[in-house]
Amino acid sequence: MRARQASVSERTRRRPSTGIGACIAAIAALVLALAGCGGDAAATGAGSDEGGIRLADAKPMNDPRAITGPSSAVVADGALKPVADDPTPTLPATVTDAQGTTVTVTDASRILALDIYGSTSRIVYELGLGDHVVGRDTSSAYPEIADKPLVTPSGHELSGESILELAPTVIITDTSLGPWDVILQMRDAGIPVVVVDSHRGTDNVGALIRQVADALGVPGEGEELAQRTEKQVDEKIAQIAAVAPTKTADKLRIVFLYARGQAGVYYMFGKGSGADALIDAVGGIDVATEIGWDGMKPINDEGLVKAAPDVILMMTKGLGSVGGVDGLLERLPAVANTPAGGNRRIVDMDDTQVLSFGPTTADVLDALAVALYAPDGSAAS
Amino acid sequence: MPTTTAAPTPTTSPSAAVPTRSRRIPALFVGLSAALLVLAVLSAGMGQLSVPPAEVVGSLLHHLGLDVGPVPAHPNGDAALWTIRFPRVAMALLVGAALATGGALMQGVFGNPLADPGVVGVSSGAAVGACAVIVLGLTFLGPWTVAATAFVGGLLTTILVYATARENGRTEVVTLVLTGVAVNAVAGAALALLTFLGDTQEREQIVFWQLGSLNGTRWPYVAVVAPIVAVGIAGAVLVARRLDLLALGERSARHLGVDVERLRVVCIVLVALLTAGAVAFCGIIAFVGLVVPHLVRMAVGPGHRVLIPASALGGAVLLLAADLVARTAVPYADLPIGMLTALVGGPFFFWLIRRTRRSAGGWA
Amino acid sequence: MSVVLEALGVRVAYGPTTILDGVDVDVHAGQVLALVGPNGAGKSTLLSVLAGDTVPDEGDVRLDALDVRAIRLDELARRRAVLLQENRLSFPFPVRDVVAMGRAPWRGTGAEDDDDRVVGAALATADVAHLATRTYPTLSGGEKARTSFARALAQEPGVLLLDEPTAALDIRHQEALLVESRDRARAGAAVVVVLHDLTLAAAYADRVVVLADGRVRGDGPPVDVLTSALVSDVYQHPVDVFTRPGSDELVVLPVRTPAHRPVAAGKESR
Repeated sequence: MRARQASVSERTRRRPSTGIGACIAAIAALVLALAGCGGDAAATGAGSDEGGIRLADAKPMNDPRAITGPSSAVVADGALKPVADDPTPTLPATVTDAQGTTVTVTDASRILALDIYGSTSRIVYELGLGDHVVGRDTSSAYPEIADKPLVTPSGHELSGESILELAPTVIITDTSLGPWDVILQMRDAGIPVVVVDSHRGTDNVGALIRQVADALGVPGEGEELAQRTEKQVDEKIAQIAAVAPTKTADKLRIVFLYARGQAGVYYMFGKGSGADALIDAVGGIDVATEIGWDGMKPINDEGLVKAAPDVILMMTKGLGSVGGVDGLLERLPAVANTPAGGNRRIVDMDDTQVLSFGPTTADVLDALAVALYAPDGSAAS
Repeated sequence: MPTTTAAPTPTTSPSAAVPTRSRRIPALFVGLSAALLVLAVLSAGMGQLSVPPAEVVGSLLHHLGLDVGPVPAHPNGDAALWTIRFPRVAMALLVGAALATGGALMQGVFGNPLADPGVVGVSSGAAVGACAVIVLGLTFLGPWTVAATAFVGGLLTTILVYATARENGRTEVVTLVLTGVAVNAVAGAALALLTFLGDTQEREQIVFWQLGSLNGTRWPYVAVVAPIVAVGIAGAVLVARRLDLLALGERSARHLGVDVERLRVVCIVLVALLTAGAVAFCGIIAFVGLVVPHLVRMAVGPGHRVLIPASALGGAVLLLAADLVARTAVPYADLPIGMLTALVGGPFFFWLIRRTRRSAGGWA
Repeated sequence: MSVVLEALGVRVAYGPTTILDGVDVDVHAGQVLALVGPNGAGKSTLLSVLAGDTVPDEGDVRLDALDVRAIRLDELARRRAVLLQENRLSFPFPVRDVVAMGRAPWRGTGAEDDDDRVVGAALATADVAHLATRTYPTLSGGEKARTSFARALAQEPGVLLLDEPTAALDIRHQEALLVESRDRARAGAAVVVVLHDLTLAAAYADRVVVLADGRVRGDGPPVDVLTSALVSDVYQHPVDVFTRPGSDELVVLPVRTPAHRPVAAGKESR
């Protein structure tokens, strides 16, 4: 059977609806579903440069719980800030990847960095090696990479032939994109594949950067980027903590919902999904973890009502696919029975950014904090 | 000497009475073999990374040590052929042959042209075995674990179907179909339970199972399936003659020297083996075992000595063609192959039911 | 004439019902033995026991002096052929192939070389040669019966066991089948035929065994066994056995009351 790697954070987003979409018998419906699912393939990455307000410039409200109405979290300045300009990698580089496999990279001139969050590709660009990236995954949408060929043409499924066509000399991936067999096929074809950690959170941002940098033979730049990012994240968390309520009873109760309207799929993201670390970092209480929700599982109405979140966090496209806030309240009556639903407190953020936890982590946290605590200064949806 | 019958002298030499059907036999084998070769080369070359047929053949020859023909132009053309395409083509051949042969065997043992491992639920039984391994994370036999549990699952359901649907050596169509419905329902429930128990990744794998796909085939998988299918088909060829005699009915076959019980057990094991080989890595692909043997029978008659190898060839051709469509019909997408075979096989099944009903004069 | 097949003290019971109770029958080479009796007498069961299909609860069955249970299936198939009443075929084989199936026990032996000749002869004898390329399901009931008979003939057995082979045949083919059976017997085979038609049995059988309620009620030449008294008693219906005028052939006819005879045109019914 296909060898599947057990990963701590399983694949998210597109996966369930692709599977359900493919179940529809008629090819026509399948094409439609694919066209719908493939929507992300044409991502223009416009969201990141819209220019949201910085937390430092915003005016936080006294009682975040009293805020009503939805908000969008928009990153203030999403531009790339590489630590170096086309550094020369020290090759060959031999690393032991996250699965214990020893991989030797001899050529870093054609790089593919693929994962479901878009973080590894971002790291490669921030390391200054962006010119050597030859293709992208569906979640990498920033302008510099947007025009590069897509290797996950149907949702988040890797296409072996697309990858081979690009003739990469090194592939960096975690286990969040599959099928795993395609990765093995690439190894069979003689391309070095370095598997990095698939866990995403505020605690291992630096480690992830270092893993990618070591594999590409630029450990110095990697260390620089890692330290810069870690410092930014720590400072941002402290900054947010100063703005957010300090007493547990006053903290915002937040839950992350994933939705794809076409197939009626609604998931709650809990412990280990990355959403928990995100909510923690913005000074909120992750209610999914509180009620013992592990990973990403289909929503349970009663569980949601019991959790009684004050704010619901969602991806922008997901919210759009269920018909906005009104559509969400209509399709999920359980949401209407929560304080978040009652106050219409839905905060959405760009799909490709919100859970990516790459070098942009601090910017993402900043944008979220603005949307949560100082929404008057941010663009509402 | 009898006065009313013709004089009992030997008739004219038998070759004068060779029916048209037998004359079609060599043509059928040649045709199928040619189709297989052409499709294999075409299929290996078609896809996102396109390799012209000449380069496909050239690549093959070069790997065999003969420096003849052009090598693939694209730097990764050779890699694409040998890591993605050729394993997939090989798997399609093996799985198609296994499914068709399994179908032919099933029909011979049950004496009924509507028997097909998918219809009577054998494939879903094998799928339950395989999915249980996925969800429970068992690896007691390494890469062979899934194939082994698929075999056990398939064997158990085959025995169940056989025991329930047989009556005095004959299988009534209605009982057969109903048993299949029941087994499919139970297997479906088991799969639903496994789906519920599994995490997100495991769930996807189970869903993929029920649709069937050859995506991601690698040589180690081919290496597992090939011997299973080879043994299964070889066994089927060996019992082919005796299956003919089974058509006379259990008692009459016995009168002609066939150990019916042993033949049945052997066939059951072979069907389970072939189904396991087919299902183990590719999921449920139904109707191939129904369509192919029937078409072969229509062309060259029901004799199993021809039916078995011709079905194996025909199944290989059919699945290769289906996989080609699955890969290329919708750009960038890999359609589930089980869906395609069901689209064709389903209506065919309807037609077959009506035809059998008409010629048998009712359900028999 | 030697005994090739014999049943000794055979008893067969299904639960509380005894089908055969202490039956002794011996079948001689060169003879045609007719097995007759009313419905439910156990004729088919006895044939099944003789064929080696059914294992009796008590008693032995010996073929060529060997216990039939001890003979391997393929060896058994070379020594005896069985023709059943049911003539089904699961798949549409052509008639020639069906008859050729009779040669299956001889595969791997020297007799295999004769296959074509034997099959051809069997087809001709059973008058189905003109149907050789027709598929079996397209045949009429009688044609199917004759094809099955040809199959049994092709097996070239020492012992032929026929269960009501004439049931579906017309007069011409009935006669032909029994003539062939008698010819085979004269050539050295042993033939057992289950028949309902007593006149037919009397005409062609060397011996008649009358079975009723699982017991042998008569065993001997037709003229001795088929008496009005015995037949009427066994069949529980008045039967008249007389000789055909102008020969010594036996005719067995049930006695019918005038009230049940068809009315001739123009005459009053009484």
